[in-house]
Amino acid sequence: MLCQSGLAQDPCDFTFSGTVIDAASQQVIPEADVYLAELHLAAATDSQGNFVFTDLCEGVYTVRITYLGYQTDSSKITLSKNVYQYFYLQEDIRQIQEIQVTGHKDEQKEILTLPQTEIKGLALQQTRGNTLGEALKTLPGVYTLQSGPSIFKPVIHGLHSNRVLLLNNGVRQEGQQWGSEHAPEIDPFVATQLSVIKGPASIRYGSDAIGGVILVDPAPLPTRPGIGGEVNLVAASNNRMGVTSGIVQGAFEKKLSGLSWRAQGTYRRAGNSKTPNYYLENTGFQEMNFSGALAYKKENYGAELYYSEFNTKLGIFTGTHAETLPDINAAINRSEPITPSYFSYTIDRPYQQVKHDLFKTHVYLKFNNKSRVDVIFARQQNVRSEYDYIPLSGRLNPELYLSLVTHTLDVSYKYAPIKNISGSIGFNGITQGNVRAYEMLIPNFRNYGGGIFAIEKWSKNKLTLEAGVRYDYRWLRAYTLDNNTAQVITPTFNWQNVTGSLGSQYYLKENLSWLINIGTAWRAPTVNELLSNGVHQSAVAYERGNANLTSERAYNFSTSLKYEGDRMTAELDVYNHYINGYIYLKPALSYIHTSRGAFPLFDYTQVNATLRGADVVFTYRLFDSLSFISKTSLLFAYNNTIHDYLQLVPANRFENTLKYNIGKIGKLDHFYISLTDLYMAKQNRVPANSDYTAPPAGYMLINADLGFAFPLGKQRMNISFSANNIFNIVYRDYMDRFRYFNDEPGRNFTLRVRLPFELFNKKNTNN
Amino acid sequence: MKKIRNPFLLISTVALFISCNKKEEVVAPTIANEALTTVSIILVNTQAPFDKDTATWEQLLDNNGNPLPVDVSKVNVILKANATYTAELLMLDKTQNPFFDVSNEIKNRSNYHLFFYQPLPTTNAFVIPYATGDVLPDPIPDNAQTTAPVSSNPLQLTVNITDHDSNPQTYPVGLQSQFVTGATSSGWLRLVLRHQPNVKNGTYAPGSTDLDIGFTVDIQ
Repeated sequence: MLCQSGLAQDPCDFTFSGTVIDAASQQVIPEADVYLAELHLAAATDSQGNFVFTDLCEGVYTVRITYLGYQTDSSKITLSKNVYQYFYLQEDIRQIQEIQVTGHKDEQKEILTLPQTEIKGLALQQTRGNTLGEALKTLPGVYTLQSGPSIFKPVIHGLHSNRVLLLNNGVRQEGQQWGSEHAPEIDPFVATQLSVIKGPASIRYGSDAIGGVILVDPAPLPTRPGIGGEVNLVAASNNRMGVTSGIVQGAFEKKLSGLSWRAQGTYRRAGNSKTPNYYLENTGFQEMNFSGALAYKKENYGAELYYSEFNTKLGIFTGTHAETLPDINAAINRSEPITPSYFSYTIDRPYQQVKHDLFKTHVYLKFNNKSRVDVIFARQQNVRSEYDYIPLSGRLNPELYLSLVTHTLDVSYKYAPIKNISGSIGFNGITQGNVRAYEMLIPNFRNYGGGIFAIEKWSKNKLTLEAGVRYDYRWLRAYTLDNNTAQVITPTFNWQNVTGSLGSQYYLKENLSWLINIGTAWRAPTVNELLSNGVHQSAVAYERGNANLTSERAYNFSTSLKYEGDRMTAELDVYNHYINGYIYLKPALSYIHTSRGAFPLFDYTQVNATLRGADVVFTYRLFDSLSFISKTSLLFAYNNTIHDYLQLVPANRFENTLKYNIGKIGKLDHFYISLTDLYMAKQNRVPANSDYTAPPAGYMLINADLGFAFPLGKQRMNISFSANNIFNIVYRDYMDRFRYFNDEPGRNFTLRVRLPFELFNKKNTNN
Repeated sequence: MKKIRNPFLLISTVALFISCNKKEEVVAPTIANEALTTVSIILVNTQAPFDKDTATWEQLLDNNGNPLPVDVSKVNVILKANATYTAELLMLDKTQNPFFDVSNEIKNRSNYHLFFYQPLPTTNAFVIPYATGDVLPDPIPDNAQTTAPVSSNPLQLTVNITDHDSNPQTYPVGLQSQFVTGATSSGWLRLVLRHQPNVKNGTYAPGSTDLDIGFTVDIQ
């Protein structure tokens, strides 16, 4: 531990210590500079964000805390006894930062003992213009489930859809997430940090999250009076995508001090994607999003209002239209689709149109003893219309319309640490109403859910122990028509269950930490798993739900080792998820005859499944300016009941990057170039006769990036340029549901420009 | 664990729940955009106009829009040997009220559609190509169309399409056709409608299947 001693006078034996924390991510900040102005004393925080000054005299001192990329925190402390204090630093959004893959100690983290990785700063900047799913794919252990070139669902350790919870600005995202072609309705431009908790974080966030949790976090609202913001522009060559996104934000002063606001909007538009050999007809999209926030924050209380709206129209490749098995087999046997190859921005049937709006209000109270209460209430509405292939009848209405309204209430109380113990307790409540029209894919329903949790941590020296327990109750009533009488019937379900988690973190050395977590979590069956009954057109399958399904029960084990050295950092996560009653679609090996032909029948079935794997990240600085970054994701998934593999599970992935930080070239600084080799193995671990064709071959893609910053007036503009699939490799991906029909997009060049601005700025005096 | 302020939370949650409206309790009717429930072939003997036959394949939907078993009671086509019949298709969506005439829609959009008539068993090359994974529609047994045409006991029926679309190449459509019979025999007739928007070229391959149904045929 670094410390600095002052003058040794008689009453001068006070200690001033504290912990420096990133206000947004709640992570500790190591190596931040802490400066006592009057005494000209300096110290740096250790790896746990702690600093200590000893032998100080009584008096009032100015403390200044600086750390690259954060706004300087300047405050007064009064020493008349020993003082210990937390200091929260706000990230300076004008700064760009290096990639941070973290999983290290932080008492402030909601769940400490599960591995967590993040994308922020420069790494996030390099994904701008992409969907949320694509952006997260750069993280080890995170994959995507794709439906063509524009629909991406995040997959954590092989689990997705309802098994992965998305927390959008603190609110659980509720759309029709059971659908494999329903991508998250979130604009990634709202976030300055995307985090993935790999493992069952259900204990804190809700019972469904047996696969993991994705946190989409915006930067905290500004505290410095003035108005500023940034503009992001992205242009891509392959689908001729253009993206404009802007943020304007400000804070008031004097009488209105504490009041701040933000307005944000994004427009994305793209045309047909191009594989190395042909264009994919009707794969354009058009997206318009906006959000606004207003906050009032005082030392001990605060309130925030937030509204966001997400609107997208997503074209689906016309060449994927198959009504029958012979259609799908014909498509598999064709070397390329027979749809015309041309470029256009036009979106025609089939397409999806989705609107998602979210209203959120957040109130918090802090008490003098450092405890805190947070109350978040949110209402969100998801309206999804799906327009199928040009119908016989030429009618204009959608085939499927679903409107889901969700209200959530989250209350948490984080109490002041008592000796070595800290923790929080809380409540999550949810109710949803779903209304459908046209096709019957899932019925109308109403559900209620409530959960209470407690998470406790005990820390001493190098060891932290964490334990959590949670109880949930769920109630679901569907409203559907009886097949014979056409009367409304109301099948009703309820579930209740307990979730538990036990973990530890131990510092073997200053820079080597070890996490272990064992936990159990559960997930109630979703309405489609219980009650769907009909043709799933895009899957060429007749899917039949089962009202007798029981909850999934997961038993999870994960352990991770993390080393952070001068030249080398390394992280190894190993996990084993055992899921009792894992629900999946099992081929029934029979057919349902319809006027369009025969559809293979699939039944929602429960089996016992094991998913195990390892994620490895390794960074080595060969020279000061040249680093090597390696990410490996290994995953094995078994169906224990039939002693075979689980289907639709991602294959092993290896990604290696060489990055050369050139630094300054003339007026340009932070100049870097990097070269990445991505290798996706062939998925050989698939059950026999579970698919229309064998999984596609493995593939290797070479990508390159280049970026720099340069001063523009008082601001710094960031420009980056990437080239993906440089060699225009023809490949298909097992996790793309359209792998039967078309190749993946070919070479793509992307230009990204980030331009921060300040319209009006008051001198920063304090904070 | 500390005291949980549950009563307050429960009350607020209950209030929240009660305030929600109950739109979901009203179940909207199932409307399938492309329900094609009923297909009739209306046959008239060109030599003897009083010799008429109508065969109907029908599969109605239940109240949730899912198919009920195929009604095979009226699928039998009875024809005289060595005769020529004009044939016309009548296709209905009986889920709508009044019944919706789908054949009329197809006529209006005939540039996008093409019918294929496959007599089975046959010694000729298949009109509807045999495809792996193909499951034959009711009432045709699954072994009626195998990898290659059979060598004995074929159904002595030839179907010639007589109507054409307005594409520059005037491709056939198939709502109207001529059934030419040979010697006494029996078998099945498979009828497939291919939906080929902007890709119709007179062949089976482009597009996707909108209809795949079967009839039994008796040539007496």
